[in-house]
Amino acid sequence: MKKFAITLLTATAIMAITASATWAQNMPKKIGYVTNYATHEWYQNVIKGMQDRAAQLGIEFEVRDANLDVAKEVAAAEDFMSQGVDVLIVTPVNEEGVVPLVRRAKEDGIPMVLEGNPVKGMTTMVAICDYDTGYHAGVAAGQYAKDHLGGAAKVMNVGLPLLSATVLRSNGFMDGLKTIIPDATMVHDLDGGGNPDRALEVSSAALAQNADINIIYGINDSSSQGGLQAWKAAGKSQDNLLVVGTGGEGLGFINMMDNEPSYQIEAAMFPEKVGFTAIDAAVKLFNKEEVPPHIVSPTSPMVGKDSWKQFYDLADNKRTIKWDAVNALVPADKCMKTAADL
Amino acid sequence: MTELSRSAPQVSPKLGWLTSQTQLVLLVTLFALCLLISLAAPQFYSVDNIIAILRQSSLVLIVAVGMTMLLIAAEVDLSVGASLAFAGVVAMDVTNKTSSVTLGVMAGILFGGGVGLINGLIVTKLRINSLIATIAMMMMLQGSVYLYSREAVQNKHLQPLFTWLSTGYVGPLPLPVVVTAVLFAIGYVVLRHTTLGRYVYAVGANEKAARLSGIRPARIKMLVFIVTGLLTGLVGVILCSLMNAGQPTAGRGFELTVVAAVILGGTSLTGGRGTLLGTLLGVLILKVIDNGIIILRWDQDLQMVIPGFIIVIASYLDLLRKKSNAS
Amino acid sequence: MPQSLEARVDRVAPIPRLAAMFRRNETVLLLVLVALLVFFTIGSPTFMTTRNITNVLGQASIAMIAAVGLGMLVIAGEIDVSIGSLVGAVALPLVVIMNATGSLELGIISALVFALAIGAVNGYLSAYLGINSLIVTLGSMFVIRGGIYIYTGQKAIPDDLALESFYQIGNGRLLGMIPYPALVALAVFAVFSYMMGHRRFGRQLYAVGGDAEVARLAGYNVRQSKFIAFVLCSLFAGVSGILLSSRLGSAVHVSGLGFEFQVVAAVVLGGVSLAGGIGSLGGVALGVLILAFLSNGLGMLNLATEWQQVITGLIIIGAVGLDELRRRRG
Repeated sequence: MKKFAITLLTATAIMAITASATWAQNMPKKIGYVTNYATHEWYQNVIKGMQDRAAQLGIEFEVRDANLDVAKEVAAAEDFMSQGVDVLIVTPVNEEGVVPLVRRAKEDGIPMVLEGNPVKGMTTMVAICDYDTGYHAGVAAGQYAKDHLGGAAKVMNVGLPLLSATVLRSNGFMDGLKTIIPDATMVHDLDGGGNPDRALEVSSAALAQNADINIIYGINDSSSQGGLQAWKAAGKSQDNLLVVGTGGEGLGFINMMDNEPSYQIEAAMFPEKVGFTAIDAAVKLFNKEEVPPHIVSPTSPMVGKDSWKQFYDLADNKRTIKWDAVNALVPADKCMKTAADL
Repeated sequence: MTELSRSAPQVSPKLGWLTSQTQLVLLVTLFALCLLISLAAPQFYSVDNIIAILRQSSLVLIVAVGMTMLLIAAEVDLSVGASLAFAGVVAMDVTNKTSSVTLGVMAGILFGGGVGLINGLIVTKLRINSLIATIAMMMMLQGSVYLYSREAVQNKHLQPLFTWLSTGYVGPLPLPVVVTAVLFAIGYVVLRHTTLGRYVYAVGANEKAARLSGIRPARIKMLVFIVTGLLTGLVGVILCSLMNAGQPTAGRGFELTVVAAVILGGTSLTGGRGTLLGTLLGVLILKVIDNGIIILRWDQDLQMVIPGFIIVIASYLDLLRKKSNAS
Repeated sequence: MPQSLEARVDRVAPIPRLAAMFRRNETVLLLVLVALLVFFTIGSPTFMTTRNITNVLGQASIAMIAAVGLGMLVIAGEIDVSIGSLVGAVALPLVVIMNATGSLELGIISALVFALAIGAVNGYLSAYLGINSLIVTLGSMFVIRGGIYIYTGQKAIPDDLALESFYQIGNGRLLGMIPYPALVALAVFAVFSYMMGHRRFGRQLYAVGGDAEVARLAGYNVRQSKFIAFVLCSLFAGVSGILLSSRLGSAVHVSGLGFEFQVVAAVVLGGVSLAGGIGSLGGVALGVLILAFLSNGLGMLNLATEWQQVITGLIIIGAVGLDELRRRRG
């Protein structure tokens, strides 16, 4: 009983300290986020995570969309600065293209959090580790290939050479795969444009050329979907196929895991969590706290049909993140490889 | 130029010879491409690959049938890419909600037709240049598709019939290819052997003269816009079935591929001149190049560069032929 | 398209009446702009601030410079849809030469030479060989963009030396207030607006765009005029590209994607007819400003992109439709 009382006391004390620590932080009044592509499901869920966290902390939150246009991104950030936001969060359309913007925000004394990609001169960035995400999915895929595909691994990479992040995912996937199956090969390296119709088209040609492909890796869910649909359109059976998607961006991967026998692995990147972490980082910057240059947001491969249910609820065509499960994931301190290693 | 387009509505023997020349050059180009690619990569002639090329070509060709008629009537529609994405979203959503593939497909096709109708009204009633009108329509569709659905609409109905639309076979041929062949044949006959077809040429060649001879150009143009819209809706449905989802992001740049193929096929941008056979060859050439670049494992960025050159060269050759014929 | 001779003469001859019409068109556009400004000022407290207005002028100037060039080309009866690719492409010689020599001037010169060369190729193929300019420039749009991707391996090229002068041309402000790009845009606009309205240069472009055959009979060199318009259009797109590159601090391979649509939309919104021969640079400038303030203001009202796209599309159709209606009545 006494022991229990002490535990209770300690717990209360810890909670009080944590709470007061939270209260000690000044909250910024307004945070502005310039996203690079608001209509993409990934960013919609990043924004959802940001909105949830900002509402919890009582911060006003606004979003502008660059719609994949670097010039528009710079303009949107300028607009935010002249409007007077306390902290700016930016997902660069291109990491070189916002270097002058970072400098101007500094000159204006507006703290800035980068999301996704590092930029020269920045203070901090919130991002997942792309290479690691691919790598762990690759290890899982290797295990699956060993158990179900007779140890063969001939990969069609539905990639996107345009972005260093997506190149890192593909490289990580192959490296992880090779730890289990050393003679795994990338049979075809494609530019699927990151969108399903382009991915479908290029995959159709590649599948027609290479009959021995048995693993399709997509750098995002649209790419894996395009690859898989090309496979189905060619009239092939999914018996000896493994499809691995990346992102867990929206509802697409859940639908495929539920309905496509070959879609067994998803390298989930939890966009909601990225948004959550970015708002926390913004609050820290606002309070001039020490922050590491790269704040890692956790990722995890989901392996097997029902694995997504561990992290998400699905009702009325809306997914809700299970914060307890996702917040319990421990992010790496440091990425195994970054764009600087390419 | 003026003389030629004036005589275009009547199938003059001279013009017939000219167009067949254009098609001959395209045909030779197509064979040469196939030969060269297959020498370097024998898998080019595999059944799988040919079916893949035909399926990809069919999507472009269906819309290109309408676009050819539009260009002949001296109009253009750049909203087809955005429209087909929206049509796919609508088709999947309606099928999900009603569990009826028929209703879903109808909704998708009618949506496309509706967009065509609005385009036609803007162009013929407000008299706005169709290039601008359809760019504006493209913007509005790209925006409003997200007002309709924030996310890609996934296949919840799991109706095999819906998947069959894109992956099914009729005998040895994929269903989309068969559908395309039928639509192409209808388009070919209408354009070549009916009064309506002659009217389309007449309106594009010289609107004023057409009006004076009792044709109502606005009606003809409306009709062609609607037909292009319906065909676009159909492609939206097939693409949606092929991707197993209604993707709001689908179809980006599709309009340029279609226009490029039609122009490559010898249809004049200024109206009054063009053939569906040329369009067919134009589509096949572009898609064989796309396919060949992947099969040969060339830099995929060339998929952008090579068609660019080919279109300019083809137009130049066409111009040279016109000149030599005129002199 | 062939027309009766009366119709042709009708289109070129009554200059005073046309001039009156331009003024009316510009008045309408000006009213639209003022209405937008009033609406946004009421809607957002931070809209009508010196900071925000100068910001928007700086942002609009990139499109403005290119739009002056394209406006003249469209008036001359041709079009160039490769300017978006060119805006991205000029940054390559600019940054590469600047990195190699440490000289901003050499970088700018090579960028402009590159732009001139592209303009000359487009102009030669269209004006002298007679290939439809939409096709020619659609072709060069693909070739240039593909070329950028191949040359850069789809990566941006950073400005390694971080030259202060390079940063300043796109980001600096005169007296800490007026962005330099806005000054460049103003100068370009003022000079060429005068040239188009009051010099032989302008009359020639209007005549050539209105009816090439009549222009030839009037003693103008049609091919040469069109060629010059192509070269100027590319040159101005090159200037836009240089300023944009400074704002981006690098040569970004994806910059300028879709830029041609924005500029064409602004030019047409400004009352320039795609058939050639009709329009004014004053209208073009208003078209650019309307679209720029629309984008800024709708953002300030916190409206999502999808609404912005829908509204922009509607305004283009509305404005062009109105213009067309008035033209038919007048």
